[in-house]
Amino acid sequence: MSEPLLLFDNVVKRFGDFVAVKRMNLEIGKGEFIAIMGPSGCGKTTTLRMLAGLESPSEGEIRLDGRVMNNVKPHERDTPMVWQSLALFPFLNARENVEFGLKMRGLDAATRHQKALTWLDRLGMSEFAERDISTLSGGQKQRVALARSLVTEPQILLLDEPLSALDAHLVIRMQSVLTNLQRELGITFVYVTHSQSEAFAMADRVVIMSNGEVAQVGQPKDIYRAPANRFVAEFVGRNNIISGKVKSASKGKAVIDAPSGSYTVTADAMPKPGAEATFVISADLVRVTGSKPKAENAVAARLISEEFIGSVVTLFLESGDGTEFKVQVQERELATLDLKSAELLWLSWPAASAHLLPGG
Amino acid sequence: MNPPEKKSLDLYAMTWRLPVIVWQTIFFVGPLLFMVAMSFFVVKNYRMVEAFEFTNWEKMLGRGYFWDSYLLTLGLASLSTVVAMLIAFPAAYALAFKVSDSARRWAIFLLIIPFFTSYLVRTFSWYVILAESGVINAILGYVGLGPYTMLNTKFGTIVGYMTLTLPLVVILQTFALANIDTRLVEAAHNLGCKPFATVWRVVIPLAKTGLIIAALFCFILSFGDFVAPYYLGGSKPPTLPILIIDTTKSGQQWPRAAVVAIMMMVTLFAVAFAALTAAYHKRGRS
Repeated sequence: MSEPLLLFDNVVKRFGDFVAVKRMNLEIGKGEFIAIMGPSGCGKTTTLRMLAGLESPSEGEIRLDGRVMNNVKPHERDTPMVWQSLALFPFLNARENVEFGLKMRGLDAATRHQKALTWLDRLGMSEFAERDISTLSGGQKQRVALARSLVTEPQILLLDEPLSALDAHLVIRMQSVLTNLQRELGITFVYVTHSQSEAFAMADRVVIMSNGEVAQVGQPKDIYRAPANRFVAEFVGRNNIISGKVKSASKGKAVIDAPSGSYTVTADAMPKPGAEATFVISADLVRVTGSKPKAENAVAARLISEEFIGSVVTLFLESGDGTEFKVQVQERELATLDLKSAELLWLSWPAASAHLLPGG
Repeated sequence: MNPPEKKSLDLYAMTWRLPVIVWQTIFFVGPLLFMVAMSFFVVKNYRMVEAFEFTNWEKMLGRGYFWDSYLLTLGLASLSTVVAMLIAFPAAYALAFKVSDSARRWAIFLLIIPFFTSYLVRTFSWYVILAESGVINAILGYVGLGPYTMLNTKFGTIVGYMTLTLPLVVILQTFALANIDTRLVEAAHNLGCKPFATVWRVVIPLAKTGLIIAALFCFILSFGDFVAPYYLGGSKPPTLPILIIDTTKSGQQWPRAAVVAIMMMVTLFAVAFAALTAAYHKRGRS
């Protein structure tokens, strides 16, 4: 990892009896795009607000570039934030909004003007510079808010669910605007979101939070394929989570007895036979066939329902003992399977596709 | 089927609107028009006679003492507005942002209590405090100061105006401030704006409409008030409301009092129009 710019050292945040953030330890590198993701109330926004100085930690330290930030007032920091509501000043026009931070830093009018226009231009907003905020569309306001935060050339930008109010097609476009900006500027982005697609599409690393605790930190792909615990496995994507008892374990492979069958999984750390174990097999790694395949793991299941979302279809199936399985297949692939007439379908996957959760 | 139903609904609605329309016509529009007409009447042998002459207007507007009163009233009401807005703001700010919801509710309740008692009674209570031998001078006397004359001065008038307007101005300002989006205040801090500067650059612009309306109420109440300038201000020189009383008393000059009243109303209309235009002014689209 690159040189740490930001450090959370045993940070705790309490609001009365409620503990919003429980003992957080996290390093964020220079020029890193980090996404903090989790369900609502998990403490992700509180974490971001502590970075901006809008809340101060109850315990522990937050260090930015080696400096302890706990008691630094918000206006004394250089940690601009892009709000979910955008928080643009309605009594100023687009350019004046962008100039606000520069004015506070005491820059003269001509320099402010020029810098604001440069940034508005960079975000494709130069023709709207003198426009009233209320006359701008959601996407345009978004760009003004970004320009306003970046015009002071900070080393870190905080983003609190900035795309959640936009239409789906705009979200995709703004994602590429954000990632390009981050790469060009080489500054650190801390991006809070509840959306997995936003976090995975943009971030170098993702922090998953649950009930005020960091559940997992890692690259999107690692989090997706190798969740650290049950919470992450359930929160991220469509996973089949299967629990059972370890029957045998040797040579990097473990056999687990579950109600729906006996499964072989690859394992780095060998679990003890007889111990409880849980593994995940993500829905897109499961094959569906009409007849029993030759595979390390296979289970027969009946189709319950299907969910069509475009090129990918999710099938919901049930095995003989009532365990529910989720399988994602390409729509065109599905056409080759004669689902209606098949009594039972066979689900199969190689042992290496399954991921054994550490700690059972 | 629809049209007849709609018609009967209109009749029903009209029935309910009628009392208000009748009331307003008889007791507001009627007297107002009569007052305008009256300003052209003449008084002969202490009796008002219907006429259409401009003498009242020429006599009143041509005299220095009317304009002295006019400017005095305008000045005092403006000063009252400035003083009330300045005194009220820190209190309203604290109530809007610094206290709990229940503390704010209690404070608003306490601010309503002054309206339970007559303003006239509250004004008289200032005698005890402001008089030469009153509470303030007694206390100042202990430290070797005074006595100061506070009754029958402009200071007394302003104290009286505050008695009338301050609770209302605090309440209106509190509502104006409590409704602003605090995320914008946080955004200002986040962009490097110091706390005091934020009040000036963000809080006040956001609360502009409500603050202007609070100031407008204060101005209207002070401008038309008779009690404070009469009992605490000593009525010399008279403000316009006192001038109206004096004019009716001296020689039954109701028509000339009507001239003063119309001038006051025209002024208040102009001020209210200007204030509301400023309050609801949105930035032009370009």
